[in-house]
Amino acid sequence: MILKSLDPRVNRLSIKDNAEEPEVIKVSLDQFETYECFVQVKEGKPLEHVGPVHAPNEEMAFLFAKEQYSRRGMFCNSICVIKTENIKASDFTDNKEDVYNLVTNSPTDNQDESFEVFHLMKRGKHHKYEGNVLAKDFDDAMAVAKKEFQSEKPVFNVWITKSEDILASGEEDKDIWDTLKEKQYRDATDYRAADKIKAFKEKQV
Amino acid sequence: MNTEALKDLLYKIADDQLILGHKNSEWTGFGPILEEDIAFSSMAQDKVGQSWQMYKLLNELGESDPDTVAFMRNADQFHNCQFVELPNGEYDFSLIRHFLFDTAEMIRFNYLAASSYEPLSLLSKKIKGEIKYHTMHANIWMKQLGSATEESIIRLQSSLDYAMPYALGIFEHSKFEEELIKEGIFRGEEAIKADWLEQVKSILDQTKLTMPVINNLTPVLGGRYGHHTDHLQPMLNEMSEVFNEDPTADW
Repeated sequence: MILKSLDPRVNRLSIKDNAEEPEVIKVSLDQFETYECFVQVKEGKPLEHVGPVHAPNEEMAFLFAKEQYSRRGMFCNSICVIKTENIKASDFTDNKEDVYNLVTNSPTDNQDESFEVFHLMKRGKHHKYEGNVLAKDFDDAMAVAKKEFQSEKPVFNVWITKSEDILASGEEDKDIWDTLKEKQYRDATDYRAADKIKAFKEKQV
Repeated sequence: MNTEALKDLLYKIADDQLILGHKNSEWTGFGPILEEDIAFSSMAQDKVGQSWQMYKLLNELGESDPDTVAFMRNADQFHNCQFVELPNGEYDFSLIRHFLFDTAEMIRFNYLAASSYEPLSLLSKKIKGEIKYHTMHANIWMKQLGSATEESIIRLQSSLDYAMPYALGIFEHSKFEEELIKEGIFRGEEAIKADWLEQVKSILDQTKLTMPVINNLTPVLGGRYGHHTDHLQPMLNEMSEVFNEDPTADW
């Protein structure tokens, strides 16, 4: 028996509706690696984490991130992707305890490598870009970040990545978002469904 | 300004975008992975949106409104090249078509940004960034699958060989070619084709795919003059099914 659907595209696929076994059996965990995506809505605002994509490499992750996370909204100024395994996450803290208070090592003054630092300022929200530090390694970068970025506002979690592990859109590619604000049809609100239902109900009475 | 020549140009561009946008949208929900499904669907939406703006320019020149023009014509009134109306096939063919068509479209709109017909040059400048992402997407996929596994390379190559004569049909001359060039509205199909061959080859050279020998191929022509394959009319019937239920409905 062939699967029947109201969607003509499904019918054209001639899928057996009693298929017990999938035609291709995948090895478990045979999937692409994940990349974390960040969006900068406007110039002057920080890059903010928005979520992951699966991709076979950095360039493909960038392609996917663009449509996955910047296809809606009024503006987008830039995006970047970082392979998840290249992000080093600090411990988590709670109850307004600053995670930087758990850092005990002092900066080494070795500035061989460039790192980028992201802060989580509110549990349940996303990490935002804080700034760049030069350091010897990840632990050292955390110590430098404490010195540079610790303030009276507690930070609950820190992400650090090497600058070279970031793929970001270039200044010259901003135009790929030129028409974004005209794509309101991608938002449910644009269809004013509630208004239409109300008008329909009023007509029924 | 030769309005007939201008309308002919706008119709062929808009019809290509509408038909290919619709074909590509048929992948929605069927893409190879979720992320690509979303990206490909978004670009399909962009294409339909671009065609709508082109039909609006035609509307200003006295043609019917965009919905009527898009949904109420028969196949022989469409000016799209036959390339865009071919069935989607497997993903390899859809990707190859996306790559070959959008490379040409990018070049076309770069030229049109300098058109002497101002509404067209303004629109071209506006949507250039959109098409830039489309070609970015196509090029990265070509580089990825065009050098990945034996299967991906063979599949892309056979789709490329099949697609090329149809792709050459994108550049079928209109009967107004000379007028359009003379009036500075458009640089002409030959200019686009020359750039296109160079750019397609430069991307393929970064993969294990081989550029077909163009001189050995016969371009598939006729689409620009309303001659189409048997695929177009059933597709139009399906595309306009909902519209025809109630042409006055407000969405």
